[in-house]
Amino acid sequence: MWSFILRRLLVSIPVYLGIILIVMAALRVSDPVYAYLGKNATPETIVAKRAAMGLDEPFLVQYAKFVGRIATLNFGDETSPDPRQRYESWKYAGQSVGLKLRQAVGPSLSVTIPELMLTTTISVIIGMLCAYFRGTWFDRATMALVVMGMSVSVLVFIVLGQKLAGFSLKDAFGIDWFSPSGFEPWWERPFLAFPGDPAERLWGFIPVASPALAMWRYYCLLPVLIYVVVGVGYDTRFYRAVMVEETGRDHITTARAKGAGRAKIMFVHMLKNAMIPVITRVMISLPFLVAGSILLEYQFRIPGMGKLIIDAIRDKDFPIIQAFTAVFAAVFIVTNILTDVLYALVDPRVRLS
Amino acid sequence: MTMIRVLSAAAGALLLALVPLAAAQKGVLQVPIRSDGPKTLDPVRGSTQYDDQVISNVYETLLQWKYLARPLAQEPLLLAEMPTNRINADGTQTWHFRLKQGVRFQDDPCFSGGKGRELVADDVFYSWKRFADPANEYDNFRFFDGVIVGINEFKDQQADAVKAGKEFDYSAPVSGLKKLSDYEFEVTIAKPVYRFLYNLAQFQTAIVPHEAVEKYRSQIATHPVGTGPFMVKEGDWLPGQRITLTRNPTFRHEVYPSELPTDPALAAADRALGLDLDAGKSLPLTDRVEISFYVPDPALWLDFKAGKLGYTQVPSEYMEESFVIRTKKLRQDWADQGVVGHAVPLLDFIFRGFNMEDPVVGGYTEEKKALRQALSLAFDGQEMNKRFYNGLNILYDGPIPPGLDGYPKDGIAPVSYAGPDVEEARRLLAVAGYPGGKDANGKPLVIEYYSSNGGNQVEQTQAEQEFAGAIGVKLNPRLIDFSELDVAVKKKKAQMFGYAWGSDYPDAENNLMLFWSKAKSPGVGAFNYDRPEYDAMYEKLLVMTPGPERTTLIEQMRDMLIEDCPFYGSMARTRFWLVRPWVRNFKPTEDFNNWMKYLAVDDSKR
Repeated sequence: MWSFILRRLLVSIPVYLGIILIVMAALRVSDPVYAYLGKNATPETIVAKRAAMGLDEPFLVQYAKFVGRIATLNFGDETSPDPRQRYESWKYAGQSVGLKLRQAVGPSLSVTIPELMLTTTISVIIGMLCAYFRGTWFDRATMALVVMGMSVSVLVFIVLGQKLAGFSLKDAFGIDWFSPSGFEPWWERPFLAFPGDPAERLWGFIPVASPALAMWRYYCLLPVLIYVVVGVGYDTRFYRAVMVEETGRDHITTARAKGAGRAKIMFVHMLKNAMIPVITRVMISLPFLVAGSILLEYQFRIPGMGKLIIDAIRDKDFPIIQAFTAVFAAVFIVTNILTDVLYALVDPRVRLS
Repeated sequence: MTMIRVLSAAAGALLLALVPLAAAQKGVLQVPIRSDGPKTLDPVRGSTQYDDQVISNVYETLLQWKYLARPLAQEPLLLAEMPTNRINADGTQTWHFRLKQGVRFQDDPCFSGGKGRELVADDVFYSWKRFADPANEYDNFRFFDGVIVGINEFKDQQADAVKAGKEFDYSAPVSGLKKLSDYEFEVTIAKPVYRFLYNLAQFQTAIVPHEAVEKYRSQIATHPVGTGPFMVKEGDWLPGQRITLTRNPTFRHEVYPSELPTDPALAAADRALGLDLDAGKSLPLTDRVEISFYVPDPALWLDFKAGKLGYTQVPSEYMEESFVIRTKKLRQDWADQGVVGHAVPLLDFIFRGFNMEDPVVGGYTEEKKALRQALSLAFDGQEMNKRFYNGLNILYDGPIPPGLDGYPKDGIAPVSYAGPDVEEARRLLAVAGYPGGKDANGKPLVIEYYSSNGGNQVEQTQAEQEFAGAIGVKLNPRLIDFSELDVAVKKKKAQMFGYAWGSDYPDAENNLMLFWSKAKSPGVGAFNYDRPEYDAMYEKLLVMTPGPERTTLIEQMRDMLIEDCPFYGSMARTRFWLVRPWVRNFKPTEDFNNWMKYLAVDDSKR
């Protein structure tokens, strides 16, 4: 297996270098410094900016240096006296690109990991149930619901969610469970606390609480739920189709004939054999966990990777765009390799040769 | 069993997560910035008003704008008195400054023993020399470019030294900066230009201690060390998300102002809002200000409605929900909650401009002027305002927005080509040599009209085409990205263009500068207007101090421009604000931003 991984990695290197070459060339088609500085830029400001970013060097030198940065995972050190070593975001002076990327990963994962776990779990279970009871009223009603969920624009869910859960719930019932938007680094709060003040206890008497999870619930749960409502529709239809195919297989008929119970058939026989498409779908989603969800992060003001890239594009923050694209491409390639490895792990018939 | 364990763990976690979050602290002001906030906290790197909204509450400038007084006027902030000046024999002007004594930088580890030291004249020179440091990429060098005697030479010498591998030498002299004592200094400027004082109230010229820059280097952008009423503690700024300002415990004794507007009606309005009640109280009036940044407006609006924010600008899509558009009065349900509404005209100059060097639409002969005047008369500003701005914009003649000296009474100047007057427009078009919109050869007049493609510009341009079409002129729209529009204007390619200017400082001189021939493209003078007599008036205006004679000159220049018509359709936006009853002393303005120190919180009204 290790030789397979190594081989795949080696093959991926020229592909990755090609991607970086194309991205860097594309980002330089029109002068990024002029695009960023706009109408008030003086010639000497433009020269100074170019020099600070190393854009005054030949393209191949820039390419080599950037590849070096990727290889050493060094996207700048904001404490360095050398502006080229600092590799600052253009928009946020004094903050390196690496710092901006690191700051954005946590908020993105706060939403995308729970969302992926919930969506996948719910979709697989519903998919299995629908497949098992296919053609019944349960199957039809469930599929009608999920299709409805996926047919409505996510923006509608966001607007309704913010209004109903983020505002009306508090306004009408005094329940302040969800913030309409915003984010706080919830992991910086204690995971367990034993509040002495009854006002800080749940329902006034439960003496154990988790301020970290409470903070996560306040800022992240609503976007996660919205994500799940939309995502479940697509995933359930897919998993149902996979499971339906699975229910017709000989081993399921045999299991039934041997008197296996419904739960055992579904969760042991069907699920195990349907793992390849499940893994494929989950693994395809992994790069987007890191990249975040642009729309949700933007609308909920979550300072994650999705918001970072959309802001960078809007503000023409060239160093961020370049580094983000490189990181995303790398994650995508690594995920592909990981997917192949996982195939072999869950299905002994797959050989990594 | 595994499933049951997983579900139990999830339920347990959810239960632990349901604990209520701590309620807002007493005496804390929560406010929004309707953008993703500042991009730097280093004055010399700042540019946007969002940078200003934070920086000017942490750092201080030599001068500031009076908070309540109108018309706007300056007063000393770090200075003990307003600077005085003398004109020198060589035509330069020397300003004499005296600093307040006892002004201290906030405590910070960059100082010896962590205790902030007193601000002295050397700090002023140091802060201004930073503009010439290539490490700051000359972001704001334009403030002093060619203004302070010797600053350009200093910049060039230091740039050469840095290129040669030497350190930037802050101790090298600048001939126009002369220290008299720790508290007194003189600045000699190349030409006696009054706007120099305006620069001294702009946040970029705020005073920074060298110890902080030396210790934090480029990270001074995230670690401000100022003399102002508030501080930003470590970790209190989450870029793009929020920032918290905390009272600076070593802030000197400054008091809430008592000077109200000179106009009795405006003064009475301020009194009715209780803006005079805290006069004489020590600043700042709040211990802590939590500022959240909002980019999509719905979140901002919901948080304001939920009572989580002390005030807000009203986004246009929520105007109907908060104000009666026709009367511009606050709706009753808001008034019943004790919310106060404010309408604040902005220093905007939104216009349709002509390239005066263009052979068709440019030029200064009677015929050429007549063509532009005809287009101006064909333009229906009221209809545009109604259709695209809910009727909330202010239309006016000339380039000087409301609130500034030289703004015509009710927006109507003695010389006016404000439309719609289609008959007169057709007559003037014939004078211009285009009867019915056709030239002598019967060829229709087609004008290339450049505009940005953002917002509702497509619809606005269609309306412009309708108006010009009514007199037989065809506008050929070129809707492009703003950056491309900017290039087209700077390269003088755009025959006619939709553009806007926001005043850098509240003086008509700033807008009149756009027509100075030395500001022509690629400078900010997009019109490429070039009249020696106008230039002479502008250069005279530059050195005049405010007064009736200056106002008369401004009016003459304004009327000359209206007659020459290098632009038409002037408009200014009005920003609407809502203020919760527990926020005291808030007088919304976007002309300056260091007013957080005047705001107070009345928790009893929450």
